[in-house]
Amino acid sequence: MPIFTKEVATELFGELWMKMINETEFGPKLKESNMTILFVVDEPDITMFVDANGPLFDDEAKAKVPTVSMKMNGDTVHKFWLKQIFIPKALATRQIRAKGPVGKVLQLLPLLKPGQALYPEYCKKFNLPI
Amino acid sequence: MRYFDINLDLSEDDIALRDAARQFAEQEMRPVARQLDQMSAEEGVAEDSPLWPFLKKAYSLGYHKILLPEYYGGLGLSPLQTNIVFEELAWGSFGLALTVTVVCFPFYCICMTNNDEMIEKFVKPFCDCTDGSIRGCWAITEPEHGSDMLAVGEECFDSPNMKGNVRAKLEGEQWVLNGQKSAWVSGGTISTHAMLHVQIDPSKGFAGNGVCILPLDLQGVSKGKPLEKIGQRDLNQGEIYFDDVRIPKDYMFVDPDFYVPLLDIILAAANLCMASWSVGLSRAAFDEALNYTKERVQGGKPLIEHYTTKQRIFDMFARVETARAIARAAINLNLNISPPHVEYSLVAKTQCTEMAFKNTHDAIQILGGNGLTKEYLTEKLFRDARSTLIEDGNNETLSRHGGHILMESYPRAPLDF
Repeated sequence: MPIFTKEVATELFGELWMKMINETEFGPKLKESNMTILFVVDEPDITMFVDANGPLFDDEAKAKVPTVSMKMNGDTVHKFWLKQIFIPKALATRQIRAKGPVGKVLQLLPLLKPGQALYPEYCKKFNLPI
Repeated sequence: MRYFDINLDLSEDDIALRDAARQFAEQEMRPVARQLDQMSAEEGVAEDSPLWPFLKKAYSLGYHKILLPEYYGGLGLSPLQTNIVFEELAWGSFGLALTVTVVCFPFYCICMTNNDEMIEKFVKPFCDCTDGSIRGCWAITEPEHGSDMLAVGEECFDSPNMKGNVRAKLEGEQWVLNGQKSAWVSGGTISTHAMLHVQIDPSKGFAGNGVCILPLDLQGVSKGKPLEKIGQRDLNQGEIYFDDVRIPKDYMFVDPDFYVPLLDIILAAANLCMASWSVGLSRAAFDEALNYTKERVQGGKPLIEHYTTKQRIFDMFARVETARAIARAAINLNLNISPPHVEYSLVAKTQCTEMAFKNTHDAIQILGGNGLTKEYLTEKLFRDARSTLIEDGNNETLSRHGGHILMESYPRAPLDF
């Protein structure tokens, strides 16, 4: 049983990305780095594209060409945002797969930290286990 | 000599980086490499060695942080740019190109951990360093273990009979390290930090290994004498000893849980470097040979006008182009996907080093007796190329490892995202 449904994930990450972009250092830093990100998620199947303008989902997201793509399942997404994943291990064991220049992938990880700080409050809002 | 690039789509930035690296290789690396090659290994790292002003210059230009992300102060080069710069630097000197790259290995791997404290403590100071005073090394090989430490998939690898020469034991919140790394640690006697492979769980053989970052000024660390060797004499190598060295628990950033797949990631990156540098070495040999054939007269005409020389020169050119194509394709793949498809790094390393060796051999054959003398660069290139067939995994072991990957992973499915 996936940790969240497609509907919950879409609503949660729609809000989370917008808050990160508008209210944290993530927004300006993403813009400055000129990076765009595609998350391809299994269980539930959901595709998210994020640039400095905000997130796009599914068909709109799939039409974009990102700087970095990351593929993982829903449970790994949840653990990633809760900082319960050790990235070298996740990459080595293919829990997370990434496409895009390795330097950009390494740059993405610290950029996402404001979202990791916010995520627990969204877990409470959407009744997800922490 | 300028060398044509078959890629007509290089950007202005790519070309500027290439030209700057080329100038540095020609004006700084070639003369220093020649000096170091003729000194003893100890003289090469003595206080008055030309190595130190060279490193200072290399650091001030940022060549020590080619692989590091821009976010932390690295150069943030694209995979193609990384290949281009590595090739140019190794045209200047394979040993010095390796020297200025291996210094970043511990810090590059720490970036992957995304650990703020470790990044502040280790990565940022390294990126900010402009005087060459912070230098890393990759300490993996041991007195009793060489390429077998990379031979994932071989029966011996996870056998309890594989006793590591450096052991780590957890005592409370600290790891205690004891043992010795071999004389083949690049930069071993001049490094300030090591990315150190250690055995944590001997019952699993090398599959019970881990990797830690180790500041080399800690109590209990000592170093051996710089190694004397036939080639890459401009690359310092030497032993490091550990006697009850204590490090905080979180310095061990790879544990046995994922040591094996992570070793492959490290190997894939290291082999891409070897491949790119080998192209530069191949090119250097080609340049020396071509120039000589136009000047040297035999039988009343320049060597280049002899049929056999034309054929040999063309073969050398073909090897440079083939090696460059393989190295670029592999680096473009494996610095764009995580985890990498290791077999392509192995192809690039084994093939590019073999071609570099053949080219340096042919260069000596073309120069004849002159090619054997210290007056010409070719004999140094030949000695440098011989080492490449062994370092970062001897080619036979790497080929066996590649075969193991093919057995387990092929046919590979296309990337699905």
